[in-house]
Amino acid sequence: MAHSSELTTAQEIQKSKKVYLAVFGALLVGTVVTVLVATVEALDVGKHGFDKWDAVLGLFIATVKASLVAYIFMHLNHEKKAVYWIFFSALLLCASMFGILFLAKYSPIFDKFFY
Amino acid sequence: MEIPYIVNARKDTGLFNSKIAIWLFLASEVMLFGGFFSAYVFLRLGADYPWPERTLPVLPGLINTFVLIGSSVTVVFAWAALKLRNWRQFQIYMSITVLCALLFMVLKGVEYNVKLHHQAVRLSDYSVVEGHLGYEKKGDDYVLDHNGKKIEENMIRLQLEEGGTTTFSVLRFHADWVEEILMEADSAKAELKLLADIKGDESNSDAGKVYFAAGTPLSIDLLKEIKKVHLIARAHNAELRTNALRQEWVVAKAENPGKKDWEISDQVSIDTTALSPRLLTEMSTATFATSKSFELIFKPRDVKEGAEQSRLRDDTTIKGKLLASPMVFHNVDAIDFQHLVMKADEKGIDPETAIQNSWLMQNNPFVREAWAWHEEGVAALTKRLTEEYGLDEKGEPNREPTHKELYRIGWKDLAKFGEERHQISLSATDSLKEEFMGPNYEARGEETFPHLSVPREEIGFASKFAPAWNTYYAIYFTMTGLHGLHVIGGALVLAYYLFFGRKMYLENPEWLANRVEVGGLFWHFVDLVWIFVFPILYLM
Repeated sequence: MAHSSELTTAQEIQKSKKVYLAVFGALLVGTVVTVLVATVEALDVGKHGFDKWDAVLGLFIATVKASLVAYIFMHLNHEKKAVYWIFFSALLLCASMFGILFLAKYSPIFDKFFY
Repeated sequence: MEIPYIVNARKDTGLFNSKIAIWLFLASEVMLFGGFFSAYVFLRLGADYPWPERTLPVLPGLINTFVLIGSSVTVVFAWAALKLRNWRQFQIYMSITVLCALLFMVLKGVEYNVKLHHQAVRLSDYSVVEGHLGYEKKGDDYVLDHNGKKIEENMIRLQLEEGGTTTFSVLRFHADWVEEILMEADSAKAELKLLADIKGDESNSDAGKVYFAAGTPLSIDLLKEIKKVHLIARAHNAELRTNALRQEWVVAKAENPGKKDWEISDQVSIDTTALSPRLLTEMSTATFATSKSFELIFKPRDVKEGAEQSRLRDDTTIKGKLLASPMVFHNVDAIDFQHLVMKADEKGIDPETAIQNSWLMQNNPFVREAWAWHEEGVAALTKRLTEEYGLDEKGEPNREPTHKELYRIGWKDLAKFGEERHQISLSATDSLKEEFMGPNYEARGEETFPHLSVPREEIGFASKFAPAWNTYYAIYFTMTGLHGLHVIGGALVLAYYLFFGRKMYLENPEWLANRVEVGGLFWHFVDLVWIFVFPILYLM
């Protein structure tokens, strides 16, 4: 019987459950760290209060957490090619659309010397 | 017919079909949520007001994050249980998943509810007051609207003097409001009567005909009757005009053979004077005068008020005086000068001067006291930050209080102010409850969260903490609302597998396992979105 995932035997599944629990722990720790760096003054990066470095750090932690979810829980660590094609092309398109946002800065609408 | 490739993989993709399908769907979801995240960035960079940083309650958001992460683990465990053919374990893990989804929605519901009942007002000088409004009372009883709900102390009061007129649009009048006007008139023993005869125009075919005589008392039936006559006249006139115009075109075309329509269109016009003896009089409005003075109240959103004349949303014009119509906060729980300072900076005015000159500081002793106390706190904070983090090479302090710390007195600050001044202390349960439900007015009392009456003319913009308040709340409700819908949808599908999956489990367990895997993939994606939504909306 062919399965999409490599988790075919009972043994492998039992083993993977341990990995899931480890990821669960990592996600909880990541969440707590996110809140702590945002609320505890001693752990505040950059200037006092929210600034771009807080955004960078917060989004970095979120990206790590999201990658863990996608990689382990969503089985992207052992998927077939078709899934990677579908998912990553969407992600790439999304990221490039995001990039267009930064062109907004150079638009005449936002140029204060324009009007 | 058997559905192909639900258990076994297709040779070309190496996957069972529903997995391809869910990944295609998730790809579209990535772009959907990506669009909203980029909208967020766009709105934040372009905001012309101080962006509300870290304004949502962190604790419920944090718990919700734990809940979603936990449910992600249990859903993958439920799938593993099916793979190992353990129905009992599947049931347990799936139940936990569905319960987690429920808990998430309950916490979200509480959060939404608190926001949607929390009032904000931006005064015309751009200071912002937040809190809860009181309710209209007559004696000891609350005034109820026609739905039996309490009315907030935020009403527009109009005084219709004796002889004062109300003009209704016979097409647009809203019967509920007419009824309300009649009720108010009745309770003041006033009568509203048709001011003048509604009769045919001299130039029309119904010249001089009196349709409705002056002095006829106002009623909804009367307005409906006038509307009927008006519509008959309109239909009659429209037909005459159309026929006349058609005739004109026939003549114009005959006179100008071979020409295009647009070339002759300026020659085509109806001779209205010739037509008018055949027309009927249209009566789009009806004006009523009152025999005695009485008062009317309307919700701010229903009326565009003016000193002498106000207009309702149904185009009813009321010629009456605007009475004092303050917006009454029974509990103010935040005072925010951030926007005022931003506007002052734009004009090159010293922030401190702008704050001192604000309506709140000029008119409210509590705000003055709270502000003096707040400034002491800011000074202490500035000192501490300089001492702890030192100065940079230019001699500037490495760390300074934020704009929000400088110019906003939030509910936690007011609570602290009250605690210090009035020795108020809350039980641990009450304090914890505040983290979810917002400030506890009963326990902290009016000395902490005082009354404030804002005159109508000082109000710049008022709203609940709803999408209308600012773009932050617009994107907050859009993103969390869309995410919440995904939680509900995902939970319904997973609950379906839980409650109706037994038969499939017995017939074809691998099929059910694949279904749960696919449902699980969606659920992980919902979790993944929240992992970004939480820090961005709650912590940044």
